[in-house]
Amino acid sequence: MEIHRLFTNRLFTPALFVALCLVSTATNPYLQYLLNLILVYVVVAVGQMIILGFAGQFAFANAAFMGIGAYTVALLGSHFGISYWVSLPAAGVLCAIVGCIVGLPALRLRRVYLGLMTMGFAELCYWLFLHWRDLTLGTDGVKVEAPTFFGIRLDTDDAAFFVIVIATFAMVLLAKAILASRYGRAFIAIRENELVARCNGINVPLYKTLAFTLSGFYAGIGGGLFALAVRFVAPDTFNLLQVVLHFAIVMVGGVGTLSGALLGALFLTMLPEVLRGTQAAQEMMYGVLLVGVIVFMPKGVAGYLIERRILPPEVLVHGWREEVRERDGIPQADAKPSTAE
Amino acid sequence: MTEFVILVTAGLANGSLYALVALGLVLIYKAQDMVQFGFGEIFMAGAFIGYSAYAYLGLSYPASFLLAILAGGLVGLLIERGLIRPIAHFPHMTLVMVTVGLSFMLKGIFRIPFAQDVYTIPPMFGGSPIIIFDLIFASQNLLTTATSLVLTLGLLLLFAFTDLGKQMRATAENMFGAQYSGINIGLVFATTWGLASVMGAAAGILSAPITALFPDMGTRILIRGFAAAVLGGFGSVPGAIVGGYLIGVIETLFGFYVATALIDLSAFLVIMVVLIFWPRGLFGTKEITRV
Repeated sequence: MEIHRLFTNRLFTPALFVALCLVSTATNPYLQYLLNLILVYVVVAVGQMIILGFAGQFAFANAAFMGIGAYTVALLGSHFGISYWVSLPAAGVLCAIVGCIVGLPALRLRRVYLGLMTMGFAELCYWLFLHWRDLTLGTDGVKVEAPTFFGIRLDTDDAAFFVIVIATFAMVLLAKAILASRYGRAFIAIRENELVARCNGINVPLYKTLAFTLSGFYAGIGGGLFALAVRFVAPDTFNLLQVVLHFAIVMVGGVGTLSGALLGALFLTMLPEVLRGTQAAQEMMYGVLLVGVIVFMPKGVAGYLIERRILPPEVLVHGWREEVRERDGIPQADAKPSTAE
Repeated sequence: MTEFVILVTAGLANGSLYALVALGLVLIYKAQDMVQFGFGEIFMAGAFIGYSAYAYLGLSYPASFLLAILAGGLVGLLIERGLIRPIAHFPHMTLVMVTVGLSFMLKGIFRIPFAQDVYTIPPMFGGSPIIIFDLIFASQNLLTTATSLVLTLGLLLLFAFTDLGKQMRATAENMFGAQYSGINIGLVFATTWGLASVMGAAAGILSAPITALFPDMGTRILIRGFAAAVLGGFGSVPGAIVGGYLIGVIETLFGFYVATALIDLSAFLVIMVVLIFWPRGLFGTKEITRV
């Protein structure tokens, strides 16, 4: 029995779900809050992984989408009394639309230019959260109304957990399905070589816009769940540090792997909680750990575990398909042309 | 009109700092195709090393300046040799991540002695501003602009006329070709990082008399430098210089004529508009796609 077969077992997902629910009954409020936050960041991380890890676009606007999602939920609830069950999907749809719009001018941009453009958008949104006081209440922040479920107010971390865990599982399974479909393959083709993708009949601008839209949707839902988990939305959460955090999650987790998004979110949400000491000591350890993980596991934690056959190989892993094929005894494509592919 | 000229000169002084940072970023980008995210911390290190030399060792401002840029250059050299070179074959995105980690480390290191307070160096010229006709120039601004111009010019001369400069340009053009022609590319990379960090540290110590020093000061300048470099077309040395001055002036004018709160955002607004019309910045060259 090899360990990675465990993860491909069809009972794994339900078992993980049940296990998480059982764990949540045994947590204290602090651990429950942390568990909620990890699950929220899984959704956010999947969003950044789609655009950066799969479609290969250097887009760093997801912190802004996350902020828009969180503010949408918080403001619809506090200003108009709209139920969380309506405002959460609304946040996702709104961010998908914004993501699509941001993606349009980005179609002409590449690498650093795209990076700066999207980072500029993130900074613009941060500025608006901070200075559009009539709408966002500025630095005072907005309190998030607790949702009600058939008359029960879900105002504790334990109650919020069930909403978050169901949403997170749904979002991850959806992402898995999309990334395994022709859409996911098109994203990867664009990442590997845009010209070759175009020659293979992939409508590059269309799929790039799709990736932006999808990524925005995930960040928006993630932001809405974030609002539920922390119950207070303030501008400073969505500054440049959030942008860097999303990038770090993808890189530490492992570019181009869905399991990398999960592991990256897990590690980088827990890391600041585990590190103790003065701010200086925390920063130094944080930096050393980031550098250390990347130097010793350049393909990220997920890539490292996949190479050691602890995690199952994913559909297409960044730039090293040949290694996987060789190891699994699948002949190279050029060594033995196969009509089946 | 007077007001406008004064604003422009103040903007040029700020812009000269952005130009230095942008130059540093572009040098590293041209050599290794990566963005150094820890560059803001080199700026911060330069400022604090200069401050320490000035306040604790009792050196004069010019001596502190020299010490700061040499120490900054040494830090850059050590980072290249110790951290980046062993992993230089990694994908560029991974290298960028390493520099992000590096920026946290440097911030932590400088926070140990400098966490408690916000520090400042008194202006180099305590005296009165220089008045030409009825235009008033703050002497510190003139000093900043002049020093950064000298550094920039020195760098351009180095590129144009020295063997090392030619080797650096050759390596940027084609790394393997340069290596086969007998250029020691390790030396070139180390020099590039050293020179780039000299620029960053110089900007740091030059800004010390006009801004407050604190360990997080690097983020703001990194963004400005990045914006300046992109505005000029990332990878273009003249573009970075022009971009830096443009961002400095635009920022100051925006802050005065439109809204003070917009100062931090104006660089991004300009960049977003420019990138929509010129996707490769003002001086960027079109990428050639080879199949």
